[in-house]
Parts: sequence; C-alpha cells; structure tokens
Amino acid sequence: MDTSRLDSLRELARKDFANLASAKVPVVYLGAGSCGKAAGADAVKKAVLATLEERKLRAQVLEVGCVGPCYLEPLMDIAAFGNPRISYANVSAEHATQILESYLVRRDPMPGRAVGHFGDAEFAGIPRFFDLPMLKAQKRIVLRNCGFIDPERLDHYLATDGYEGLKKALGMSPDALIEEITKSQIRGRGGAGFPTGKKWRFCRDAKGDSKYMICNADEGDPGAFMNRSLIEGDPHAVLEGLLIAAYAIGASSGYVYIRAEYPLAIQRLCKAIAQMHEVGLLGTDILGSGFSFDLHIKEGAGAFVCGEETALIHSIEGKRGMPRMRPPFPATSGLHGKPTVINNVETLGTVAQIVRHGADWYRQFGVPGNYGTKTFSIVGKAKRTGMIEVPLGIKLRGLIFEIGGGAIKPFKGVQTGGPSGGCLSERFLDTPVEYESLAAAGSIMGSGGLIVMDEDTCMVDIARYFMGFCAAESCGKCTPCRIGTSQMQAILKRICDGNGTEADLGALERIGKTVKAASLCGLGQTAANPILSTLRNFRKEFEEHIKHKRCRAGVCQNLFLSPCQNACPVGMDVPGYVSMIAAGRFEDAIHIARETNPFLSVCGRICDHQCMLKCRRNQIDEPVAVRVLKRFIGDLARDRRIAPKVWVSSERRPERIAVIGAGPSGLTCAYFLARLGYGVTVLERLPVAGGMLAVGIPAYRLPKDVLEAEIQLIRDLGVEIRTRTTVGRDVRLGELFSQGFKAIYVGVGMYGDRAMGVPGENAAGVIQGVDFLTDVNMGKRREIGRRVAVIGGGNTAVDAARTLARLGAEQVTIVYRRTREEMPAFADEIREAEQEGVRIILLAAPTRVLVDEHGRVKGIECQTMKLGDFDNKGRRVPVPLPSSEFTLDVDTVIPAVGEFADVRDLFRDHTVKTQRDGTIEIDDEGRTNIPGIFSGGDVAFGASTVIKAIAAGERGAVAIDRYLTGDCTRVYPWRVRSRSPAPFNVGAEPVAYPMLRPALLPVAERSKSFVEVQESISSEVAIKEAQRCLRCDYREEEV
Amino acid sequence: MGAENQSLQMVLGQFPAEAGSLIPILQSVQARAGYISSQAVCEIAQALRLTESQVYGVASFYAQFRFTPPARHGICVCLGTACHVRGGERLMETLQRELGAAMGTSTSDGRFDLVRVACLGCCALSPVVKVDSDIYSSVTTMKLKGIVNGYE
Repeated sequence: MDTSRLDSLRELARKDFANLASAKVPVVYLGAGSCGKAAGADAVKKAVLATLEERKLRAQVLEVGCVGPCYLEPLMDIAAFGNPRISYANVSAEHATQILESYLVRRDPMPGRAVGHFGDAEFAGIPRFFDLPMLKAQKRIVLRNCGFIDPERLDHYLATDGYEGLKKALGMSPDALIEEITKSQIRGRGGAGFPTGKKWRFCRDAKGDSKYMICNADEGDPGAFMNRSLIEGDPHAVLEGLLIAAYAIGASSGYVYIRAEYPLAIQRLCKAIAQMHEVGLLGTDILGSGFSFDLHIKEGAGAFVCGEETALIHSIEGKRGMPRMRPPFPATSGLHGKPTVINNVETLGTVAQIVRHGADWYRQFGVPGNYGTKTFSIVGKAKRTGMIEVPLGIKLRGLIFEIGGGAIKPFKGVQTGGPSGGCLSERFLDTPVEYESLAAAGSIMGSGGLIVMDEDTCMVDIARYFMGFCAAESCGKCTPCRIGTSQMQAILKRICDGNGTEADLGALERIGKTVKAASLCGLGQTAANPILSTLRNFRKEFEEHIKHKRCRAGVCQNLFLSPCQNACPVGMDVPGYVSMIAAGRFEDAIHIARETNPFLSVCGRICDHQCMLKCRRNQIDEPVAVRVLKRFIGDLARDRRIAPKVWVSSERRPERIAVIGAGPSGLTCAYFLARLGYGVTVLERLPVAGGMLAVGIPAYRLPKDVLEAEIQLIRDLGVEIRTRTTVGRDVRLGELFSQGFKAIYVGVGMYGDRAMGVPGENAAGVIQGVDFLTDVNMGKRREIGRRVAVIGGGNTAVDAARTLARLGAEQVTIVYRRTREEMPAFADEIREAEQEGVRIILLAAPTRVLVDEHGRVKGIECQTMKLGDFDNKGRRVPVPLPSSEFTLDVDTVIPAVGEFADVRDLFRDHTVKTQRDGTIEIDDEGRTNIPGIFSGGDVAFGASTVIKAIAAGERGAVAIDRYLTGDCTRVYPWRVRSRSPAPFNVGAEPVAYPMLRPALLPVAERSKSFVEVQESISSEVAIKEAQRCLRCDYREEEV
Repeated sequence: MGAENQSLQMVLGQFPAEAGSLIPILQSVQARAGYISSQAVCEIAQALRLTESQVYGVASFYAQFRFTPPARHGICVCLGTACHVRGGERLMETLQRELGAAMGTSTSDGRFDLVRVACLGCCALSPVVKVDSDIYSSVTTMKLKGIVNGYE
C-alpha cells in the first residue's frame, strides 16, 4: 500500500484547517444545505459578500452543511478575534449586515442576538450551543462534520481524519473487516435493521467473480431528510464507507442510487467523486492496495418503491422499478444477477468510524441489541424541528419533549417510520426507540422520520393520507397491494366525507391484514401499518367521523361548516351571526345565535372561545374577536328589548320534566325542553338562579343584571324556576317521579372545594375558594384580612384574587405550583389581576398553614418547586426542591386547588353509577344508569367550562325527548347547519386591520368596585370587526 | 425538429448503448427538451435496440417523466407528511383555484405546470413549495400570491 500522497495531502489539510479554526482571519459560516436555502440562505450569502466587500473586511466565507436545528435557519456563524464561533439564528439579509458590521467592525458580537457558541468555556453570557435543550441529549457521530466543514472540499474531510478508516480497512483482510463490523453489531439504518456485518458476509461468501456495492440514497419517506443532509454536509463520509464496504465484499463496481428530488446532494456527490478520482481514491489499485473500484451515480426518477432493494436494482438495470420475489436475496443474486450489497447512506456514513475506532468504541453508545446512534428528523407540529442524532434506547418522550420541545398545541401523537410505520398516541411515550420496541408498539423505526401531531391533526385524515400515498406509489405488480391500497383509500375517503359506516372499520382491518400478509414487497407489506395503528390507538376519532359525522380536529372539510363552528362544543353557527353583524343585520344575528345558545351575553363575557383558537384568520394575523361580537348582540338584544325568535315546536307535550340545578347546564336543558313543548320545573337550592354564573363568577366579569336578563328569557318560554329548594333534603329524588315528572335532569355542578392536604388547613382564616366567591356574590361579605394568599392557578383562584383586591385586601398573593404558561386561568384574566396589584408566586406550593395562639392564620409555609419529568400531556411534573422552604406572612388563606362533586344526598334512594372522583357516570347522550335520569355539566365531567355545560344541557334535552317519544330519527331544527345567507365577495382581499381589543376600565377605577371591567363596543366597531371574518362557511356551489 | 433531433443524438452519443442507460438517457433528454416526445421515444428505442412500447413502458412508470411540453414555469407543491400536517393540501387547493388548473396539468396560458411531489426533503420547514429550482419554505396561502407573481 502506498498512502504517501494521501498522507502529505492530509498534513497540509490539517494545517490549513487549524488555521481556519483559529480564526486569525474571521470566518463566516453559512448553513447551506437545502433547508438553509429554502429558508433564505442565498439572500443571506449575497448580503454577507456584499457587506464584506463594501466595508473592505477580510473574512473567509464557508458554506457548510446542516448542524441540526432547521427551525433556526438561516443560520450564520462568525468565528473571529480568537473568540469561539458564535451562532446567530433566523438571520435575514438585513440582520446579516447588521451583525457583521457590529462584530467585525465594532467588535461587538451582539450577544443578545446570538443563539449559542461553540467554545468550551463561558463566553459573553451566550449559552453553549451543545448545551441548548435541542442539542444536549444528542451524540453526533455520523453527523460529526455537518456544519463544521465545507462539504465541497476534500481537504476539510482529510483534516478531520477522513479516509483514515479506509487506510486501516485496506490494511486488514476482508474477513477481518467483516468480523469487526459484525462485532460492532451495527444494524442497517434504512429501516429494517438487518445486521450489516451479516449482509456483507452473505455477499462475500456468495459465488461470483463480479460483485456490486450500492448505496441506497433513495430516501423516499416523506418527513425524512437525514440522508440528504448527510450527503450535502459531508459526502465523503458516505463515500469512504461505501469504499470500505466494497472492499469487504469484494466488489469492483458500484453505484450511489439517489433521488432526483435532491439536486444539491447529487451535485455535492458528483464533486466528491471527482475529487476521489483526482487523488486516486477511485479507479484501479486504490492507494496501491490492489483493490480497484469504480463508482457511478444513478438518479432515481420519482418512484418511492425504488427504495426497495430489488426495485432499485431493476431501476439501475433500466427497467420499470418493480420488485421481485425473494429469495434469492440481492446478496447472492442482485444487480445483473451478481452478488450485491445495498446499504443505506447512514449505515455507510458510520462504517468508516467503526473501522477507525473499533467495534468496542461503537458499542459504548446505545443499548444491547440496539447499539450506536441513529439520526432522526423531528418535523410536523413540534416546537423545535430539525435533524438530530441520538443513542438508541432513548425514550420517545425524550425525543419529542426534551429535544423537540413538545408540540405547539396539545400533543396528540407521533408518526414514526414513514408510510410503513404507525401512529403512536401518548400512552406510548415511554417506548424506548429501538427496532423491536417500536415494532411491538405497532410501528417501526424506519428511516427515522418523526412526525409530531397535535390536536389540529385528524387521525382519520392521516390514515387516508398515508393510504393515498401508498396507493399512488404502488408499482401495481401484485394484486393485494395494487387493489388493496386503492380500496382502503376509497373507504377512508368516504369516511372523511361523512359517508362512512360501521362496517367500514371491519373492512379496513380485514383488507389491511390481507395486504400485509400477501404483498410481494415491503411497500405493500407495510402499507397497512398506518391505518391499523390509527384504528387501534385513535379508534374514537373514526367512530366520531362515522357515527356523529364529526371531525374534532377540524380537518375533514365536508363534515363541518367552518372551523369555529366545529370547535364550539355547542356548534354555534358562528359564521352565521358574525356575517350578519358584518352586514349590519343585528336582529338576524341575534336570532341565529340564540337558536343554539340562550346565554349570549354570558358567553360573550366568559367563554373560553375555542372558536377563536381555531379561527383561520389566525393564519393571517389574529382571530376574529368572536366573543366580543357575541356579547355585543346579546347586550343589544337586551337594550333594544328584542325578543328571541327561535324555533319552537307547534305541539305542546303533556310530560313535565324536573331539572335539578339552575346553572348553565340545567337552564339550557330547560330552554331546549321548553322549545320542544315540554313543561319544565327547575329546582335550585340557592336563593338565586344561575349556578356558578351567579355565585362563582364575580360581577366585574359578569354583572348580575346581565345574567338575570338572560335567565328571564328562559322563564319567558314557560320554564318555572323554584329557588331555595334542595332536592335530597326538601324533596326526595324519588318523590319527583311520584309528583308526575316523567324525567329528571341533574345539573347540580361541583361545589365541594378540594382540600390542600396540609396541616393547619382548618384554622380560622382559611376560606375555601368556591365558598368565598359564593358568599361575596350573594352579598354575604366575609371578614377578610389584610394580607391574603390564594392557592391555585385556575379561574377560581384568579377570580378570588381579583375579588379580594376589590374588597380592600392590602396585599393579595397567588401561589401556584407550576409555571405561568401552565396556569389554567385565562391569560387576560391573569394580566388584569396583575394590573390590579395581585402578586403571583410561581413554582411554589404550601406545606403548612401557620397558626397563632388563637387558632387564627398567621402565615403560610411554602416550598419551591422545580419542573421534573414530562407527563403524557407534555407538561413537566413539579417536584419539590429540598431545603427551599419560605414563609408568606398572611392572615387569610383561600385555597382554590380544585372542586369535587358530592351527589350522595341526592341519590340516597338510588344506586347511581359514579366515577372515582364522585362525578356521575353518563354516556355520550347524557343518560345515567337509572332510566329516566339524565345528567351533564360539571357534576358529570368534572370542573369544566360554561360552554361545555351548555352543550351538555342541549344533549340532555335531546336525550330526554328521545326517551319520552321513543323516536330516534327526529331531526332537531337547531342542529341543522346551513350556509349563511349574508352576502360575501369571495374575490375581495381580506381587510387588513388587527383584532379589536375592547377598552378596559382604568385600573384606578377598578379597585374597590365591582363595576364591569371590559367596556362595551359600538355598532360601527362591531361591524368593522365582523368584517375581518374570512367566511370559511362559504362554498362555491352556493350561487 | 432538426434541432431537437440533433440534441437527441448528442445525448444518445454520451451513453453506452445498453439497457442500463435508458433512465439516464430519458433524464438527460427531458433536462434539455423539457419533456419526452414521441420522436424521442422512437429514437431512444432504436439506439438501445428496444421496442417503443418498452421504452414508453419504462418512462411512464416513473413520475419524473412527462410527455407533453412543459409550461414556462413548474410549481411543485410538496405533499409529504410533514407538509401535509402543516397545511400542504390547502396550498395545493389554493393554487388550483387561483391558477384555474387541476393538479398534474398546466394553466391554459402555458405559464405554469402544477404538480404534486412526494417529498423534497425540507421537512423541518414545511410546508414547502418549489417553483422551477427555487424552494420556498414555511409557505402560507397568504404568501402564495407573492411567490407566484414573481414568475412570468
């Protein structure tokens, strides 16, 4: 062997590279992979070159590959003045100029603008890049050079010990080489995980004078781009591995089969191969070892199936890319019938390092049976998207939450393994990322694409999507795949269109299993994985699409009018009333809205507006202020005394229904029952009607007269409300039936305050949250102290805190055990509380209430928390920090840490089924296990929102009607959705102004008064805001 | 006709006359002429001693090849999984409506081809749209008009 030329090249290269690294001349690194370019790196490069030119600055510009966090692209790094290399993220052309001028001219590296640095020690307060949450758990072995070398320079690769592996390999016998790779236990990284050493052995042992070595760079899995990044960032790493593999198996000729969709990678590959020729690393007698090898590039032509070995081989042979039966396997009979090894890009990229450092070195990473590292792409709805490399064995939870930052909206699931893989729900988050564990979970490792999905992803749509993909990419050769995939696709499409039946699910499973068992190649054999796994893990969504024609994620457009209407638990016709407001037809708006919801003014003040979270206008700027508009029409109805014109049945029913609890759920149930013609009596234990609306929510959020006016409208329909009547005490539940009521709806809510569970809880001066609010709202002022602590972070806690501030407490402090982002209370409520002087202490929880000699509260001892491991929802569990106690000097404590239901008195004579937390167990319609007794709202769901309670009341009314009439086919007019008749100019551009923010009462006027904080708006303002609506309900067929 | 034939012969001359050259030849022909004409199919078949139906059979298997002249610009909407999950379908719908062309066809004025591609590999910055050789990331329906207007 003669490596002298290579060695001297390497010497020079090392010196040059060391010079570069020392940054005596500033170096500007630009992320120039396809991702970087797609994010705008070319414009940045132009700006960099222009700035250097204009300011006559000396600097080297290096275009490097992907360092991983693609969501930070375009990335520009500067190494200068002996300082560590500093990385700047999301750089535009303007930023680039600014930063260059600041650092290279004025020597100010703008630390506030930097995302990280690559030095070892502390520097300018900038975090270490590899300590960033996305990078910390990573171990970059195959990706070691990406982002640090110029991929178009051979000398950079040589400087980082490139081709040292090849040197060592050529000095070993092929058998010893294969032995080493086998010992490392590296498994094929293309997806199947077959032991690489074994594959090489088979080929080595196969009879044949000419053998082929192929690198499979046909990375077809949508969502996976790691192979592309590796080739773009460090092509020689792959080529060195390819050469080593060729030597091991005895191949004299080889190919890189690469997708045509990767033009930049192809370009870099071509250049690298040319460089290899120049220095004698390809061709005859490589490095004087006697080993000869020639390498060609073959481009794929857009067929996913060509990632399959035999299809790939046929494609190279110039045929249609159709797979064939195996055995014989390519290792014995492959390209042109000769023994062939096909290895994945990442596998080859790792091989050179295994040879250099040894099998034992490789096995220090990963876990037994799954040694080494693997690259993954984290894409989809993750906060931090990009490419990563981690040791195998890490849990899915670690990948998605620690590294990927979790999902942007609540996490729903993750898809692994591409179209051959499966969708895993949150209960799989502890699955270790290993070949066998993922297969056992119903998915596969695949090439490493991880698609993160959140509540806006419809799992039925995802199954349909993957099936469509497989059907389109099926080569057509074998019947099970060709016919099976299109049949399953057709069924899924029907389900998404709202025409699915129960039988469809069984059909999908049957066809899926057949396709899996009988298909010729991996594409067909795994095509059913996505649908089978989504059916197993997300069956409820399929059933909702079929039984209820409902797409909860708001994706399947044939199942809903608009995302806002779909997100609303009541299904309010939001585009209907908003478009009427936009047209100035306020009365029409009122009637449309009242059809589905009696509480317009109430919801217009306190609803958690799921509609606004799904509003498509969010994609432009901000949502339409639906809640404010709803309040506007509710208040207008009252001011102008507009009686509601809603559908009312023409027949009067003889039956009478008893509703227990005059809260939002009970009153709504009464509202719809009255409209259906029933006689309704509502029995309420408190002296006032309204439930939590009256006694839980303070008047500055919901004025009493506003609530009373809407309750009156329900009375006007003939509903009788009897207050000061406690069922279970004043009258027994059974007696109601004997009094002639034919059905009962239980909507008693949740009024029990959960205990904090700390000593001293029963001291004088500790007042439970709900009790406290009830007393204030009923006018029974309680004696409160001067310094008050409120424990909890939900709306009850914040309501209590803001109420206390108004009652004259000197200092009100909220103590919450998690972080601000996790507080369940509405963000604007929290903000207004702080404006009003409420102090918030986060990450703290009480451990004991301190009591003076009279048994009164004198303080509260708390412990600081820190955030521990992630739970299944992606929230970190708070864990107490040892020795972190502190004391708050308070004389009153208001715990508001949750509520519980207690229906034992009510159901003393009946055995009602309850859940573990005391709530009543109901089915989808609201039926309890006792015939004739229905329920809904907080007492059945647990503490929830007003709009959900209203929805439950409506469902209860329908269930009662069905129960009493026996008719399950009836169509309820208010449930029928139709497009708004309001005119719409579909060609017009959306109006450009931002979301309306109604004025708030100045803080000075808020203290000591319970006057409503949010001010009302004028008609002009309402019309203007309503015109921001994009009219998602509009369909072109409507002429 | 003459120019096309010359170009074709040049391509054919660059590759060994064996079956394995078929796909690279087709790729090279399409790179120059923009599509595979029936003339090209005929010439390639002759050069490689295959039948026209064999050549056509291979060419039509692969999504990359087209058999009608391309429009002035090609819009590729990526419908890979990451792009799908972040709204790729909506982009395709919008383009179909705005351009008045169905997916897989061209606008009547010959300005744009509208195609779907399975994955361009820029998944972390989805959804992605490619026009000619320019790749645009994190595309929204609002940005589409501006992007498309840049191509005459």
